[in-house]
Amino acid sequence: MNLKDQFRFVRQNMKKNKTRLFMTILATAIGCTFLIVLASVGFGLHKSIIQDVMEDSLVTEIQVHGKEAGEGNFQGIKDEDIQHFREITGVKAVTRRQSLQQSPIFKTEDYTAQSEAVSAYFPEEVKAGFELSEGRLPEKENEVVVGSSFADGLSLEPKEGENAFNEDGSIKEEYAYKGELVGKTIEMEVIKMEDGKEIKKSIPLTITGVTKKPSKEWMQIRTVFISEDIFKEVEAFTGTPGGSPEQVEGASGDTGRIYDRVSLYAKDVEAVTGINDQLKDGNYMVYSIVNEMKQINMVFTILKIGLLFIGTIALIIASIGIYNTMTMAVTERAPDIGIMKAIGAHPKTIKRIFVLESSYIGLLGALFGTIVAYGISYAVNLALPLVLERVFEEAPPEGLMLSYIPWSLTLISVAICLTVTIFSGWRPAKRATQVDVLKAMRREV
Amino acid sequence: MIEVRELSHAFEIGKKEKKTVIPVLVDVSFSVEKGEIVTIVGRSGSGKSTLLNIISGFIKPKHGEVWIHGEKVSDYNEGKFADFRLAYLGFIFQSFQLIPSMTAYQNVELPLILKGMTEKERQQKTEETLKRVGLIEYKDHYPSELSGGQQQRVSIARALVVNPPLILADEPTGSLDSETENELLQFIQELNRDLGITFLIITHDEKVAAIGHKTIEITDGRVMEGVLA
Repeated sequence: MNLKDQFRFVRQNMKKNKTRLFMTILATAIGCTFLIVLASVGFGLHKSIIQDVMEDSLVTEIQVHGKEAGEGNFQGIKDEDIQHFREITGVKAVTRRQSLQQSPIFKTEDYTAQSEAVSAYFPEEVKAGFELSEGRLPEKENEVVVGSSFADGLSLEPKEGENAFNEDGSIKEEYAYKGELVGKTIEMEVIKMEDGKEIKKSIPLTITGVTKKPSKEWMQIRTVFISEDIFKEVEAFTGTPGGSPEQVEGASGDTGRIYDRVSLYAKDVEAVTGINDQLKDGNYMVYSIVNEMKQINMVFTILKIGLLFIGTIALIIASIGIYNTMTMAVTERAPDIGIMKAIGAHPKTIKRIFVLESSYIGLLGALFGTIVAYGISYAVNLALPLVLERVFEEAPPEGLMLSYIPWSLTLISVAICLTVTIFSGWRPAKRATQVDVLKAMRREV
Repeated sequence: MIEVRELSHAFEIGKKEKKTVIPVLVDVSFSVEKGEIVTIVGRSGSGKSTLLNIISGFIKPKHGEVWIHGEKVSDYNEGKFADFRLAYLGFIFQSFQLIPSMTAYQNVELPLILKGMTEKERQQKTEETLKRVGLIEYKDHYPSELSGGQQQRVSIARALVVNPPLILADEPTGSLDSETENELLQFIQELNRDLGITFLIITHDEKVAAIGHKTIEITDGRVMEGVLA
């Protein structure tokens, strides 16, 4: 008996008691919907959190904070370390930044701002994904790039008795800078302390570009990216490493260049773990979002398995209905089974027909259940921000997703649903094969 | 075609200590040649139906052997016997045993479906067989819409459709009126003559017994000596 005929047989049999069939499919569909919707909460939250973490930092970035050279002896990253990092397989770029150990005052026309100054090596920064919103990268030693929010920090000197800032910390309209930045000349004022006196030095710089705005609206970048030559000029003026205004106790001047912000960028996510391990073997102190994500993924995998397990219980309850329906079907159809066996139906064929019938019920239940689950998931995601906004009186985080149904969840749920229904139909199907031909034909079953 | 050797069977009634063994067949031996119509006669409770059920594979005998078409079928398990039935045996029952939710056409088609034939082959064979039994115009009727005689002819068509060399019939005329009974017996003889089908018929009706080339009488589970015609 081929599969097509078995299906035809099953459909013919199912039509015999439509109400019972409908109720069984309904119970299975509800079970399947419950399973998918419940697990989709785990998937949704996982997705929202991963998305949030990913937006904050690059997945392929590995930050190197220093090197442990013996018990409790930590060293900064030097040029020879940078050279070593470049030779590691799978590394795309190695960015190195050095922060000036004072916050210079930047002046243009009558506007001033105090910002941090960082020296960066742009060829590697570009390889790592550094982008400008306008202008170009510096080419000469006195050229700089400023952060996307640098202009927000520029303000006029307030009149006497007045405050230049609003309550929220932003600069008042009348003091704020509204002009163009690219092409402007700014003076960078650095200081050093000598015999208790403050000595100032002004270095003229030209702004050639402005960095791209970060994806997070609340993030503000006011950094000024200066060249390594200007950095050295400040160091020469202060006579201290990093351009600190005062000589720091214990710091020696000839330790070589030490970078305080070093990041390695892997060619792809798969390479991150290998690079990470290699760095750890070299006693480097590293941080990678992939490690953090591993932990997040583990927590959510456990959560999702737990939710799937609870959802499966609902399906098992629904399967009792299928078991009941199939048992009734076997009892009702015993005379037909007897006739079929008498004319030569193999017990395996009889079993297959009944297993197929319970699978068919499971499949229909899974199909309707999945459609309803998608509908509920869509509605929840649509209504949730509105509800949260009303209850907490503030907008929920952007991209918050309470329920998410990936294809994998649909497939897992349909597979669970089918497995449960096949199991619940197995015993009645086996009973069908054991129907006594003579008793069945005498209507004694 | 059929060889029954020293066949014995008994039913057990009751449980454990109170179990009673009732012998139904005792040392039955006979044979049926290819192309014969053999009738088995006997009173109610004589064991003739049990004999047919053992030959059909519905009951496993306690002792003895049954050979059909050169195969020792008494040793077959349920699955193997099912395949054998589908390939070599046709059945005609007293109460027709048609599936009520299926039309005459679907009932006749059923063994062909079980054999795994294509739809086209099935259609051709089913219609051909329904024509042979004179019921082609009733093919879409359900059993409840047919007379007893028509139902029995559907049942014969279902038995014939797989071209079995042997048809086993249990009181085939038991539910029919005299006129229909005559028609059916004539039809059985026709099939035997034209197609060479062997028939083994259980009956208590003398008219049916008379069409047999050979008649076996069973009394109290034993084949009566000297009554083999």
